[in-house]
Amino acid sequence: MIEIQLTVNGKDYTVNIEEDKRLLDVLREDLGFTGVKEGCSEGECGACTVIMDGKTVNSCMVMGFQANGSNIVTIEGLEKDGQLHPIQQAFIDIGAVQCGYCTPGMILSAKALLDKNPNPTKEEIREGISGNLCRCTGYSKIVKAVEKARGYEDES
Amino acid sequence: MRMSLDIVGKNMIRVDALSKVTGKAIYPADVYMDNMLYGKTLRSKVPHAYITVNTKEAENIDGVIKIFTCKDVPTNEHGVVFKDHEVFCSKKVRRIGDPIAFVVATDIKTCDLALEKIKVNYEEIEGVFDPISAMKEDAPKVHEGNNIMYHYKLRKGDTEKGFESSYVIAENTYKTHMVDHAFLQPESGVSYIDEEGRVTVVVATQYPHYDREEIARALNISEDEIRIINASIGGAFGGREDISLQIHLALAAKEIKRPIKVVYSREESFISHSKRHPLIMKYKTGADKNGKLLAMEADIIGDTGAYASWATNVLRKAGVHATGPYYIPNVKVDSIAVYTNNPFAGAMRGFGATQPPIAYEQQMDILAEELGIDPITIRMKNMFKKGSETATGQILTESVPLEECLNKVLEDMDLNLDRKGAY
Ligand code: FES
Ligand code: FES
Repeated sequence: MIEIQLTVNGKDYTVNIEEDKRLLDVLREDLGFTGVKEGCSEGECGACTVIMDGKTVNSCMVMGFQANGSNIVTIEGLEKDGQLHPIQQAFIDIGAVQCGYCTPGMILSAKALLDKNPNPTKEEIREGISGNLCRCTGYSKIVKAVEKARGYEDES
Repeated sequence: MRMSLDIVGKNMIRVDALSKVTGKAIYPADVYMDNMLYGKTLRSKVPHAYITVNTKEAENIDGVIKIFTCKDVPTNEHGVVFKDHEVFCSKKVRRIGDPIAFVVATDIKTCDLALEKIKVNYEEIEGVFDPISAMKEDAPKVHEGNNIMYHYKLRKGDTEKGFESSYVIAENTYKTHMVDHAFLQPESGVSYIDEEGRVTVVVATQYPHYDREEIARALNISEDEIRIINASIGGAFGGREDISLQIHLALAAKEIKRPIKVVYSREESFISHSKRHPLIMKYKTGADKNGKLLAMEADIIGDTGAYASWATNVLRKAGVHATGPYYIPNVKVDSIAVYTNNPFAGAMRGFGATQPPIAYEQQMDILAEELGIDPITIRMKNMFKKGSETATGQILTESVPLEECLNKVLEDMDLNLDRKGAY
C-alpha cells in the first residue's frame, strides 16, 4: 500500500492505495466519483476521461501513484453553485445525450478544448473529441452542443 | 378530428439528461454496497467440446466464497424463444465464451485466481463454422438434431414464368458479416436480497420482465420473489435482450445472501453476448425491357451460431423484407437459420431488415445498368405506393411516402451538391 495525495474537484484527498491500482479505480472506488466510466480499460474509448493538471487523460491508463500531487477534475466538478457548466447545459438543450455513458468523458474533453481554444472550428471540435467514442449519437449533436457552448467564457 | 400533438415534432428534453451530464446517473457498475462480494464467470476457451469440471482446488483458495456450476441450478436453461442456452454448460460447450462456472469471492483478484485454478477438461469434438457446411446431413451437430433450426418460406405467383418473360436477369450472391453492438457500457450488475427478502438484481437490460421470468424458471422460485431494477443502460442495440449475468447473480445472492457485483471486461462483453446474424443471400431478379420487375428468388441463409436467440424472428423478417420496397408479382423466398459453433447471433438494430438491402439494392443497380437506364428511374418504376401489394400479400393502405422521399433526395442533391449542413 502507498499513500497518495491529490486534489479532486477542488478538494484535497489523502488515500492509501495498492501499488497496482489505476487512477480510474481510485476515483470510483476510494473517492466515489462514479461519473468516471469504464468502457474498454485500454485507452481506446475515452469514457474514463478526466482532466489532470489541465490536460485530459484516460484514467484507466494512469496508475494511482502517478496521480500523486495532481489536480483532477471529474464530471462531478463542473457544476458551480448549483449552476450547470455551459457545456453541460448545451448537451441537454441540443439533445447530445442518449445512453449517457460517453457523456462525462465527452464533456470533459470538450471543456479541455474550450479552455485552451475558446473558439474552435467544427473540425477542431471533432479533433478535440476524437479520443472519445460514442456508440449512440453519431456525434452530430455532440459537435453541435460544443459549438453552442463555444465562447461561453465571453458570456460569463 | 385532428388531435393536437404535444410531443411529436417538438424537441423534448430527455428526463434523464440532467443526471447524465452531471455524472449522477447510476449504471449497474456504479452501485457499491456494504459487505459486497465480487463474481466472475469462467468461459469456454474452445468452440466445441465435451467437458468435465473440477472446482476443488479453486474452492480452497482464501477468499473464495462459492463456485457455482450446472449442479447448482435447478432448471439449467434459458433463451428468449427456445431454451437452448444452459445457465452453466453441463456436458458440452458449443462456442468460445460459453459459461461454465461462476466464482464468488471477496475481491476481483481472488476471483481471477480461482478462475485459473478451476480445472476444465475439454474433450474437443469437430466443430462447424459456416452455415452451408452445417446444413449438410453429416455435419457435426451443435444441438440434438438438425442444425437447420428454422426455415421461412414465402411464395407468390410463379417465379419460373416470371423469369421466362424477363428481358434481363441478375443473379448474384451477397454476404454480410457479423456485427457486435459494442455498446459503450460493458455488462455489469449487482444482486442482493432486499428488505422484503426478494432476490434483487440491478442490471442494465432491455427486458426486465423477461429477466425476471428467466430467473424464476432457472432458480425454480416464483416471480414475485424476484425484483429486477433496471439501472441506467449504457447502450444496448439489441445486445441486452438475451440473458448475460442476470441468472448467475440471482443464484449467487439467493445462496450467499450478500450483495454480489459483476463487471464484464470489454473482452468478456464481446465474447459473451450476441451478434448481428451474418447472412448469405443468393438473389435472382428479373425485369422486362422497361425495367419493370417481374420475378425474384432469394435464398437467405443466416448463421445463428451456437444458440437460436431471436434467429426465427430475424430470419423471418429478412425473408419478409427480401424484395425491398419494390412491387414484384412473382416471388419465392427461402430464409433459413442454421446453428454453428460460432458466437451466437440475435437482435441487433434492424432485426433482419438491415442485411437484405445490401442484396436487393445492388440487384436494382445491376439491372438498371444492364438495361441502360439510371438507378433512380428503375426504382421509381417499381417502388411501393399507396395501394401496392407486398410479397406477403399485404395491401399498403396507409402512408407510403417513398416517392416523395426519393424526389426530395433528388431535389436536395441537385440544390446542395456541396452537402451544405451535412456533418
Ligand atoms: S476505459 Fe479508459 S479509455 Fe476506455
Ligand atoms: S450517448 Fe451512448 S455512447 Fe454516447
